Amino acid sequence: MADETTATPRRDPIKNPVGNAAAQRRRQNAVSVGKERREALFRTKRLCRVGVSSEMDVPVDSDMMIEEEQSILEAQTSSAVEELKTAIAFQGKGAVQKKVNALRELRRLLSRSEFPPIETAIASGAIPLLAQCLSFGSQDEQLLEAAWCLTNIAAGKPEETRALLPALPLLIAHIGEKSSMMVAEQCAWALGNVAGEGEDLRHILISQGALLPLAKMMFPNKGSTVRTAGWALSNLIKGPDPKAATELIKIDGVVEAILRHLRKSDEEIATEIAWVVVYLSALSSVATSVLVKTDLLQLLVERLTTSNSLQLLIPVLRSLGNLIAGDTYTTNTVLVPGHEITDNIILALIKCLKSEHRVLKKEAAWVLSNIAAGSVGHKQLIYKSEAMPLLIQLLMTAPFDIKKEVAYVVGNLCVAPAEGSGRSSLIFDHLVSFVRSGCLRGFVDLVRSADIEAARLGLQFMELVLRGLPNGEGPKLVEKEDGIDAMERFQFHENEDLRNMANQLVDKYFGADYGLDE
Amino acid sequence: MMMIDNNLQTLSEFQYWFPVLRRFGPDDPFFASGNIERELLAKQVALDLTEEEKQQLRNLDDADSEVSCPIVGCGANLRSLVEFEDHYNARHTASCSVCSRVYPTSRLLGIHVSEAHDSFFQAKVARGYAMYECLVEGCGMKLKSYKSRHQHLMDKHNFPSSFDFFKKAQPSKKERSKKNQRKQHHATFTTENEEGSGASAMQVEEETLNGLVSAVSKLTTSDSTPSAVSFGRRHTRGLTFVPRAVQRETKK
Repeated sequence: MADETTATPRRDPIKNPVGNAAAQRRRQNAVSVGKERREALFRTKRLCRVGVSSEMDVPVDSDMMIEEEQSILEAQTSSAVEELKTAIAFQGKGAVQKKVNALRELRRLLSRSEFPPIETAIASGAIPLLAQCLSFGSQDEQLLEAAWCLTNIAAGKPEETRALLPALPLLIAHIGEKSSMMVAEQCAWALGNVAGEGEDLRHILISQGALLPLAKMMFPNKGSTVRTAGWALSNLIKGPDPKAATELIKIDGVVEAILRHLRKSDEEIATEIAWVVVYLSALSSVATSVLVKTDLLQLLVERLTTSNSLQLLIPVLRSLGNLIAGDTYTTNTVLVPGHEITDNIILALIKCLKSEHRVLKKEAAWVLSNIAAGSVGHKQLIYKSEAMPLLIQLLMTAPFDIKKEVAYVVGNLCVAPAEGSGRSSLIFDHLVSFVRSGCLRGFVDLVRSADIEAARLGLQFMELVLRGLPNGEGPKLVEKEDGIDAMERFQFHENEDLRNMANQLVDKYFGADYGLDE
Repeated sequence: MMMIDNNLQTLSEFQYWFPVLRRFGPDDPFFASGNIERELLAKQVALDLTEEEKQQLRNLDDADSEVSCPIVGCGANLRSLVEFEDHYNARHTASCSVCSRVYPTSRLLGIHVSEAHDSFFQAKVARGYAMYECLVEGCGMKLKSYKSRHQHLMDKHNFPSSFDFFKKAQPSKKERSKKNQRKQHHATFTTENEEGSGASAMQVEEETLNGLVSAVSKLTTSDSTPSAVSFGRRHTRGLTFVPRAVQRETKK
């Protein structure tokens, strides 16, 4: 067995196959829901425009597309593309209007139904034509319609999004500072869809120079353009390659714009900017170290405290979590016990723990666990706060994933910071307090769970109790909570670490002479 | 399996509780449920937006066209001052004063002017200097020819081969029939000019000498001279008359 005395045990993601499969399923679900939502977002938004701006259009919002209707739609699409081709070739008077009309027709067909005829459009050769319509100097209306068509095509299946490749440099060019805002926004939207599709497309967009102009679109104070650009940018830098995030933070004016929006802008814009910060802080240590030295943490804590929008709270909370987890500067220098910001962040986290939203509870517990991994001062601060009763209750009754995070908080609060090798010293007050409140049961439950990481936590906490409670009270308590039984399950468990840990505890504390003193 | 002596506590191999910072990558399954929430909630936001948008659009349709763009040859009708500012910014501040082509950034405009209308640029190119800038801002690379720059864009920046920065304007009927004999394979993109403003096309790659002379003749301080100088090439229209004030702005 490898020497794992006091080397930092890595909290790896769940290795247990059961946990993994569930996690994978959740991820796949997220991707498909994301696409669905994206489509819904377009359909809903675009549908409405069509309905309002022209009497001739009847917004079709049928839930079921009959096959017959679908093939009619496809036929209409093919002919619309043909029409566009003719319009582009035409060079006489009224050429521009012809093009715009053809584009508009195609755009309507692509905006209407539950299943836009994207495949047909691509097969009919729409993309090179649309790219032609994006050439420099074209009328705004033409650019807008063409970009809109491309946007909706990009919202389709992966291979359909990829089909946009020939048009990408032009879409990027038209988000330049001289473009009309509507055109720029529509192009940014299309690019956002492409970027959201996959890593390889993000790489292409970045190498084509999309990052800088998109970042600049964040600079104005307000407007839907800023919001769309923020969203597209978050898609562009989401990695896993950290290069884009690191490039972004270095662009002049970006940090100032981020701070300004988080300070003053409405919640919709702040939400997108917060997601940009999420990726910056998760991927780039350069970005993190720059950001923690601004008043970003302050602004995030304020947003976390004052907002009630789940949309905004999630990325704000996560940004805080990333900044704390990513750089010890945060806990050591900014969130010093005694500073007002430290009190405020704990209050804000308590607010999240009290929330009815699972995500907020779980991620708040995660953030708290990292603060609790700090100095003794930090642990005392949390211990004395209103978080305590919440933590105890959550440990007993919360769903499994939240329970696990809370377990981290509790354990971290009981153990002093690491100093060299050997066991960390215990903080008796805290440990005793938790045990008296009945937390041990919660940890024994974790030992019984199928999750390896959770079982490990449970065993480790039990060790603290066995070691730390005075007067040999530990073993008695553990026995009372059926801890011995739980540990014996691991006697022949396949996981070597858990087996060893459990056996060591049993041997040491429940050996041959246990109970003989009674 | 080791038997642990109660007295030898330091040799234990037990993995003690050890507080550490736990960090997760953005794609970690840990964040999955939060990501789903984002996606699901966004649907509702979209519905809210549509109401707003409906209102906005209704307002737009109601108002009469308030501002008419004063730039000669434009004549666009804008619905508000904000729209006009937007329009002016897009149409009249990044347009080439020589051929009226419009570009979405000042930088691209500058590149176009150098490559298409600057005789000194051409002279340097002829002497072998690398003058063709990479179109991607921040790259800094310069190439010796239009073609090699195109190659660089494909190699380093994943541009499609169909991308063509400078495309000649639509030739007149006579020119078109002339061309049919020596038909070049143009790439799919055409740089078009707006209807209503004429364009004098500068042929950069062919007939450089003609181009040079034409260019020099266009470098005139007189604002009101429509340049119709050409050597063996008929332009359908001369330069659009552009008011002096605006032209000064574009000449940087």
